[in-house]
Amino acid sequence: MAIIIDRHTQTIVQGITGTNAALHVKFMLDYGTRVVAGVTPGKAGQEVAGVPVYDTVRDCLKQHPDATVSSIWVPPRSAMDAILEAIDAGIKSIIVITERIPMHDMLFARHVAGQKNVMIIGGNTPGVISPGRSLVGMLPRIAFQPGRIGTVARSGAVTYYVANSLNLAGFGESTSVGLGGDPILGTNFEDVLRLFEQDPETDAVVMAGEIGGVYEELAAPFIKEMGKPVIAYITGKAAPQGKRLGHAGAIIEGNMGTAAGKIVALEQNGALIAPVLGDIPVLLKRALGSVH
Amino acid sequence: MRLYEYEGKRLFARYRLPVPRNVVVDGTSLHQLRNVVYPVVIKAQTFVGSRGKAGLVQFARDENEARDRVCSVLGTVYSGHKIDRVLIEEKVRIKKELYLAILVDRLAHRIVVMSSRYGGVDIEEVGHNQPDAIFKYYFSPGSIMHAYAARNIASEIGLEGPFLAPGAGAISDLYRLFIELDCKLSEINPLVLTADGRLMALDAKVDLDEDAMFRHPELAAMGIVARHEVGELSERERFAKKAGFPYVDLDGDIGVFPGGAGFGIAAIDLIEHYGGKPANFMDSGGAPTQDKLRAMLGLLMDNPRVRVIFGARFGGISRCDDWAKAVVQYVIENRPTKPMIMRMAGNMEEEGRKIIEKAKSEHGDLFRKIRVYAYDTPIEEVIKETVRVAREQGRPETSGDNNR
Repeated sequence: MAIIIDRHTQTIVQGITGTNAALHVKFMLDYGTRVVAGVTPGKAGQEVAGVPVYDTVRDCLKQHPDATVSSIWVPPRSAMDAILEAIDAGIKSIIVITERIPMHDMLFARHVAGQKNVMIIGGNTPGVISPGRSLVGMLPRIAFQPGRIGTVARSGAVTYYVANSLNLAGFGESTSVGLGGDPILGTNFEDVLRLFEQDPETDAVVMAGEIGGVYEELAAPFIKEMGKPVIAYITGKAAPQGKRLGHAGAIIEGNMGTAAGKIVALEQNGALIAPVLGDIPVLLKRALGSVH
Repeated sequence: MRLYEYEGKRLFARYRLPVPRNVVVDGTSLHQLRNVVYPVVIKAQTFVGSRGKAGLVQFARDENEARDRVCSVLGTVYSGHKIDRVLIEEKVRIKKELYLAILVDRLAHRIVVMSSRYGGVDIEEVGHNQPDAIFKYYFSPGSIMHAYAARNIASEIGLEGPFLAPGAGAISDLYRLFIELDCKLSEINPLVLTADGRLMALDAKVDLDEDAMFRHPELAAMGIVARHEVGELSERERFAKKAGFPYVDLDGDIGVFPGGAGFGIAAIDLIEHYGGKPANFMDSGGAPTQDKLRAMLGLLMDNPRVRVIFGARFGGISRCDDWAKAVVQYVIENRPTKPMIMRMAGNMEEEGRKIIEKAKSEHGDLFRKIRVYAYDTPIEEVIKETVRVAREQGRPETSGDNNR
């Protein structure tokens, strides 16, 4: 079954005619993802890699009523509108690739999604992959292989490196979720940990966080309730205090938000801490050995 | 994006929030000191906290005193911030100091108005010692502030009688400013009642969302544009800012050419873990242009402190072939001599590898010190090798070269 997407999931792509979106639609189709339609206002009737383009999400769903997931590739200024359009048309999970969405826009989109029970992943997410079954977003297929470890990370490249180090050690992933690098996220660590805890195809979870924000700390209490082992890899230990490192979200503020603070909170609640990437498979072997 | 107090007060004035009469003075406009009513408060414009304690808030009774004080502070540097401007304000007699702030609560994902009867002091201390003294009123994203809500807040912090209406007005004006200008924070500490019966914002702390600046041409027209908030920029940091990518100078000798921010942060950790010293942080953003990639690489090559460059591209939305093209073109055009230890995997990897192999066969000498590993070499191994090469590079030069 995996989480969020599986081989039966039908997806649409908002902003499908953009250069990046068009390239990745091709990659998604090659991977076996069921991309059934795309949207770019004013471009109805065109095709991208054989996928029909519509003017609106409503039109998409009239023709493809079983589509439940949309990925969003529009510019930041139109991102909130695209998310609201998808929610209004009845899409259930929205994967937001767009980065640097205005904070107030994302807060509002989250608020509406919460009322309609819709899941938003991102913004600035690389996407979601259930290896061997489906890929929504722009994650490189080579980084992943099928298996029974769930992964969830803030950064795109860290998502790839985590899976890469699992695979080199003989593990694979049930699903890998990129939460995204923007400061306000639709879905946080706890939401995904809850899904993995329920997923019969996941044996253990690797979470990769970084300095800034509060989502790692907020997830810590739930880890204590989990039956499955959680390995945590937190970056930013060597980051200089008070300097701003890239991600708008990665600002060191107060005690919440530091790598050290996150590591303590997670460790106290039972997560196993991996100081470097290579330690992740070592800790997994130890944790799963004692379970089986 | 933090604003200076004088910028915050200009925005307040646009939203009818009462602020003291003021002028802003820099090195070229000292003559303005003639046009103020004394006594005045002189406030250095900087992001340094507790300016009072640092001597950055002073008083003057007349023009001569003001000129002395202004000249003594202009051009000085506090915690890396050069002071270019001072704000000269009428000195008001304070009867009561209150606190008012609007911010995004990132735990609740809602907008919160925080207010207190105790203003003019460190609000974190108030929160710590007397949590009940801070009143929090939450708003759902997208909602407006009704007049009654503003009255509730005003009344909670003791604005009553003749002050209730102007107090509630100020609170809803600040809320409108917060929403309309895409603020992360708008804070007035203190909001004062003056001895002559006025309500006034004595300070202004506004933090804007840099990701929303594209829809605020009115701010650009006021000279409010993206800026760096933490100390002075180094020359390289200024260059990077112009070229459009985040860059921070660190004090090591390994140049980090990482791709995105997330792995940039991870790479710094990993390099230190294996005994190396990173020279920088940087972030290409998603799908960078080749011009940007070449500028990033050039910045590291031209940094005399950098002995070796660690590069990594795990192609997702940022393609390996674009990355390889940028590296190859940079090397052919600039003939760098510093070793580059890199790893390339992910989307369009095969195309990227062909580009590098072709360049190697045509320009073998230029690529002698450049290694590009693939998917099957763990990133840790690449970093360990980089650290080793940095040490080797350091050795013969340690006697003569202290080039820092």
